[in-house]
Amino acid sequence: MDKVVDLFLNNNSTKQKWEELLSSLGLHDFSEREVDVLDHTIGLENDEGNLVGTGSVAGNVLKYIGVKNDEGEQGARFNKVVTALSQYLTNEGIFHSFVFTKAKYAESFEHLHFNLLAKTDQAAFLENGTPDVTDFVAEIPKVEDQEHKKVAAIVMNANPFTLGHEHLVKRASEENDLVYVFVVANDVSLFSFDERFKLVQEGTKEFTNVKVVSGSDYMVSPATFPAYFLKSPDDLITVQTAIDAAVFKKQIAPALNITRRYIGKEPISRTTHYYNVSLAHELGPDIEVIVIDRLQKDDQIVTANKVRQLIKDGNLREINKFVPETTYKFIKKNMPELQSRIEKGMNINGN
Amino acid sequence: MTYVKNRLRRTMMFVPGNNPAMIKDAGIYGADSIMLDLEDSVSLTEKDAARMLVYEAIKTVDFGGSEIVVRVNGQDTPFYDEDVKAMVKAGVDVIRLPKTESAAMIQKLVEDIEHWEDEFGIERGTIGVMAAIESAKGVLHAPEIAESTPLMMGLAVSGEDYTADMHTHRYPDGRELEFARNMVLQAARSADVYAFDTVFSNMKDTEGFYRETNYIHELGYDGKSLVNPRQIAMVNKVFNPTKEEIEDAQNVQNAIREAKAKGSGVISMNGKMVDKPVVEKATRVLQTAKASNLIDEEGNYIGE
Amino acid sequence: MEIKTTAVAGTLESSDIQIMISKGTNGIDIDLESEVKKTYGDQIKKVITDTLKAYGLENVKVKATDKGALDCVIKARTLAAAQRATETSDKPDLEVL
Repeated sequence: MDKVVDLFLNNNSTKQKWEELLSSLGLHDFSEREVDVLDHTIGLENDEGNLVGTGSVAGNVLKYIGVKNDEGEQGARFNKVVTALSQYLTNEGIFHSFVFTKAKYAESFEHLHFNLLAKTDQAAFLENGTPDVTDFVAEIPKVEDQEHKKVAAIVMNANPFTLGHEHLVKRASEENDLVYVFVVANDVSLFSFDERFKLVQEGTKEFTNVKVVSGSDYMVSPATFPAYFLKSPDDLITVQTAIDAAVFKKQIAPALNITRRYIGKEPISRTTHYYNVSLAHELGPDIEVIVIDRLQKDDQIVTANKVRQLIKDGNLREINKFVPETTYKFIKKNMPELQSRIEKGMNINGN
Repeated sequence: MTYVKNRLRRTMMFVPGNNPAMIKDAGIYGADSIMLDLEDSVSLTEKDAARMLVYEAIKTVDFGGSEIVVRVNGQDTPFYDEDVKAMVKAGVDVIRLPKTESAAMIQKLVEDIEHWEDEFGIERGTIGVMAAIESAKGVLHAPEIAESTPLMMGLAVSGEDYTADMHTHRYPDGRELEFARNMVLQAARSADVYAFDTVFSNMKDTEGFYRETNYIHELGYDGKSLVNPRQIAMVNKVFNPTKEEIEDAQNVQNAIREAKAKGSGVISMNGKMVDKPVVEKATRVLQTAKASNLIDEEGNYIGE
Repeated sequence: MEIKTTAVAGTLESSDIQIMISKGTNGIDIDLESEVKKTYGDQIKKVITDTLKAYGLENVKVKATDKGALDCVIKARTLAAAQRATETSDKPDLEVL
């Protein structure tokens, strides 16, 4: 009978066996980006002590699941690996988990009661456990007669909340009955989720028809989207955008009657520009994507990236030009802490 | 179910206590005893779940007449008390205590069982106990452990833990277990309880399995612990009596019958007294022969 | 009995059932996945419901993933999940069994 064992990938010979197994199953991307985020890895050993299956978790996401098919045991082994990972997670107090996988494996997960959130030609995104996306949507505050209202949404990381964000929210607020601002919940940014969320709340207080909510795990960010199972790492943005858009369009927007999504026009980053174009493509025609020109101050486009660079330089006076009072106060008070995060290696480039 | 002191115990099949598929099928292989395990085969985080599963299984699953033994967690663990309580309530036949090192440990187990028997209104003495001997200390105390209670069903050598305690490991020739095997067997025989040999886990090595089983059968062991149902037939084959042994045993029974018919208190055969060990051996041989289908209802030999 | 935390018991392996229970508001609400749902779905739900009620739980959200479990396995897994959710696993209430 196969036995579940812990695999410690910092042991070179273990890692080699693990990579050999996964390579034989068609997974070849063992880059630092993909592997360093794994919290725990388990293996399945057969009676002879050979590695015949594996699976990992990173946060609440199951990753690198693979099993060998000897003597028709693939299904049993798959179930055993997923069980072991789910037991690991529940012991960590995590009862809600996700998996990004090749589209052809979606069904195997559905048999284990995973709920399909989104699927493209290449990839699928599923969740398991509780509270799930239905609970998530049910918890979002609503207004009376919402089904007859004009409702828009903005998704932002707000790292941190700038005058640019404020500008975007203001426009949406003026043009709609109700605006949801979803704050991306992944904690991989200079400002923590709690800090970002609070600054968005404070910065949008004056707009009474705006509700700020956590994007929870349903705003699929490129920063955390796994690429190891894709045909090519170059597909990352395309696949991630398609999955992110599909979750938004199918799981979140209908229950909230969201028909428009506001995004800022991207003048610099080609990646972001490309993202915007494909997002519009994926969300349509049910959801209209409205692109707003970026706010400029002193002939400079306001971006959070710029603000982070100024934090690194300690240039408070310059920061003051680009952020609302609430964000400014926070930065001023926490400057040493923010700078020490950057010194410790927090990446401040990107979005 | 109730504990029976004397019965056929050639095979004791280990079944992981948190595995419903294996528990469900455990009764179909014809093991003399089934040992449902709450200890080593169950990870720390699943102890509670395995306990409930084994509890429900004992109450409802048909184990085909096999004796049901449960290996509880050791007395040095936080799971022991609840394990014993639940197994008493479930009505298990025998509770096996791991890592037994003294008579006092078995006496504590018996007291705990009796406490819960009283609590649940179960008659005392309906559950037997057995001791797993897994350390140097346990081996040296085997005689007092074997005699520690009238409810003692038997002693089992546990090779993996014992060899680790002895700073060695299992070898194919079994020399590392020689002293333990003999000591435990002596203790068991001297106290008139059963003796079980350790598991043999390399399923690929059939020859080695037969070698080991023949060896412990020769020593005088009553049975062997198993991890795989395929090993049951193999053990039974080794433990099968020969045609001559069966005929001898039948003759002993005939002599008893004749003596009874004549109203004679003295049983003799071929000019010799038939005493207790001879009678018991004959009973054992015929019981085994019947269980292995070597004789029919009338006692005719139908083996190969 | 009161549910203090979300809890899971059981596995996704053959002949087993995985039961996840969390606080509910609307009686015992069971979301069941099973290959034999059509034929045995009602029976499986009944065993779960009866077991939870016997354990004194009234409002429970249940997610059950069945892999062909016998009734006694369904009962055992439901009990284990209930004990974990009520944080009574170390001193389970056997009197209700």
